Amino acid sequence: MSVAAGGGESKIDKTKLMMYGLGGGVLGIYLTHVLNTITGSGYFSFLAGLGVIAAVVMGSDAVRRVCSYGIGTGVPSIGLMAMGMGLVAAWFGLSIGGVAGPIIGIAIAMGFGYFVGLLANRIIKMNIPVMEEVLMTLGGAGAIVLIGLSVVVSGEISYPLIISSVVDTGYIAIIFIAGSLAILHPFNANLGPDETQDRTLVHTISTGALAMFAAGLASLATIGAAGFLTVIIAVIIWIKTFMWYFQLVKRDSSGVVGTGLLPEGGL
Amino acid sequence: MIAFDANMVLYIIEIVIGGLLVGVGVHFVPVGGAPAAMAQATGVGTGTVQLAAGSGLTGLLSAGLMMGVTDNIALIVISGAVGAMIMVDATMIVGNWVYIYGVGVPPVSAKVDYDPITKEPQPPYISPGTVGHGIPTVSFVSGTIGGLLGGAGGSLIYYALMSINQNPGLSGFFAIGIFVVNAVIASYNIQGTIEGFHDPKFKRVPRAVQACLVASLVIGIFAVLITGGA
Amino acid sequence: MDMVSMGLLAAMGALATVAGASEDLESDVGSQSNPNSQVQLAAQVGHPHRIYNKAISGEPPSNALYAALAAVTASVLMSGYGMNAFFAIAIGAVVAAIFNGIYSVTAYMGRNTSQARFNQYVYLDVLRTHTTTIMAHAYITAFCVVTISYIMTAPWLPIQHPFPMPLVAFIWGLAIGAIGSSTGDVHYGAEREFQAYPFGAGLNAANSGDIVTKGEAGLRSSIDNAWFCARFGGPATGMAFGLTVFLDNWRTTIFDPATQGWLAIATGVVIVILFNVYNRILEIRSKKRYGPYPEYAGDIEA
Repeated sequence: MSVAAGGGESKIDKTKLMMYGLGGGVLGIYLTHVLNTITGSGYFSFLAGLGVIAAVVMGSDAVRRVCSYGIGTGVPSIGLMAMGMGLVAAWFGLSIGGVAGPIIGIAIAMGFGYFVGLLANRIIKMNIPVMEEVLMTLGGAGAIVLIGLSVVVSGEISYPLIISSVVDTGYIAIIFIAGSLAILHPFNANLGPDETQDRTLVHTISTGALAMFAAGLASLATIGAAGFLTVIIAVIIWIKTFMWYFQLVKRDSSGVVGTGLLPEGGL
Repeated sequence: MIAFDANMVLYIIEIVIGGLLVGVGVHFVPVGGAPAAMAQATGVGTGTVQLAAGSGLTGLLSAGLMMGVTDNIALIVISGAVGAMIMVDATMIVGNWVYIYGVGVPPVSAKVDYDPITKEPQPPYISPGTVGHGIPTVSFVSGTIGGLLGGAGGSLIYYALMSINQNPGLSGFFAIGIFVVNAVIASYNIQGTIEGFHDPKFKRVPRAVQACLVASLVIGIFAVLITGGA
Repeated sequence: MDMVSMGLLAAMGALATVAGASEDLESDVGSQSNPNSQVQLAAQVGHPHRIYNKAISGEPPSNALYAALAAVTASVLMSGYGMNAFFAIAIGAVVAAIFNGIYSVTAYMGRNTSQARFNQYVYLDVLRTHTTTIMAHAYITAFCVVTISYIMTAPWLPIQHPFPMPLVAFIWGLAIGAIGSSTGDVHYGAEREFQAYPFGAGLNAANSGDIVTKGEAGLRSSIDNAWFCARFGGPATGMAFGLTVFLDNWRTTIFDPATQGWLAIATGVVIVILFNVYNRILEIRSKKRYGPYPEYAGDIEA
């Protein structure tokens, strides 16, 4: 599916996106932890979900940058790899770090990403200049998504709690795959010569909201009715961003028509 | 909370071997990528990682079932390998049905003039403007070997992790994570398509071995330090 | 081996067959996965079309998402709210189908919009009529896959796989996507999209992108692709997934893995050898039946 990859130029700077992604992700996770422990409830889980949305935007932009090089295999594989690395790193961080776990996990995930990017360029000889940096960003985004959505489900940063509520129940499956698709789907879905960065990123917010919705659904069994707050906020974000996305589709497309035959010269 | 012991080295070695088996196994699976879906290239019409993950993880299910009742490493690893081989073989057989009966093309390789196993001539059966189609015997056997290695690798990683944290869900997911990292590295090495062990691209295996070795080692060191909670 | 295990195994095989068929038809209506590269190319080579263009990050991950989401929803309803498994799985599959619909719609809009310079319109009636068809197929797939996973993991049933149910569903979802994109999609990509070209040849690279955009009357609608592929590609995919699920579990059902593990493995090896032999027979028969291509001008004798 390497046909006509690429896309328009970037209007939003990547460092800015990375700052928002990392900062927002970490902030969301910790705010959830602190507010939930202080109030002794699960009502603030949605904040981690909002942090995850910031991180997927950062990840999606990284996918967008690397895929313009034609990586020889489909768009999905790079995100799955990032999530694979992110998974081990995130759980390592949570397992040894206690409350500092998320930061350790994210840092290690970015390290893994940089390292695998180095391997890809040096040993496999892919010669993609942005590979190290993109995999580093993606690894970090993957770790934030996994930790953030896990915290949405568990309610606080506590390794035994995350193991019992996220891993033993198997909810990690949806966290893993909904998180990967949130990062991958937007660029893959908007692939084409007339792709624009703002449309892809608005789409990313909406898929991030879907991932948040899925984690919120899972949290209904672990933190109970408080999980509805996450679900409802995710739905609101999704509706808003979907409308926004549709506006951008109307702006960019050659025509959004109710019905009709093929355009001139098409037959 | 980090506790080292001698067994950890053993587990790291098992994870590295598992990662290598996955990385090498991917090179055996005949995938033609998007062109194969239009009967334009030899191999299964899907992406490398997709088929390797599909088969390797089916093997992981078999290995997980086996590990629930025994802790004999040979039994678990071979069980995973057999599960993966069954999945990849069923896929390739039905894929060939579709090529032969649905599209009307005989399975043929374009990378060699004579099939190395059956010694049959290949070029006369290649339809014009394509680089082969379907899954000829040599690719089929190669794919079976790929399933064997991928399934065994995934199961070995699972076995090592399971010995550490005793948590099937956690080990299963980490095995998936380490599996995809190695599979993607290997698929970058073959640039998306390969016909099997007779393909000239197969000579690139040493590069993937190096990359997967280092990547699995680094990830393995972290993975063995993760406890099963509780 | 007892009767209950055998019955459950048969049910799993049957469910897997249905799931495989519906998975393939879902991706044919939506034009997902590898054949979609031609739909994508069509507008670029001057053939704008009214075919659905749904690219959801590759079939295995997207099907893993639907299966995992349905399984998680079902598991939440069962463990958190004590719902009966049958209804819980059905509701889970509805949620998965809704996700499928959302992803499909955004992919159609996004891909067609990104081809603005080739005059590819976004047709809202295509979205309205096709999305529900795609969602219906996704519902069937998710329901069957999660039911298989439930049978494999439920504590009151004999298999009792150690993995949690969503993880089993995730793996089967990945496997069904891999199988669907490897088998049935070829029928859609190589035959249906290029029906105007003679049967019995792969797509000549020179004709890439020249997909059929007109139907029997009017313009081709992707729903007709389900009609076509349901004749062969869909059921064949069902066979592949059914065989995988059935054979893989059959050997651990007839032989107890705890005491007869090696026999179960030996059975598996025999199955694999039979597959290899059967493939050789298929190859010989097809070459004999079709013969070499008349256009071939090389030196090597057929």
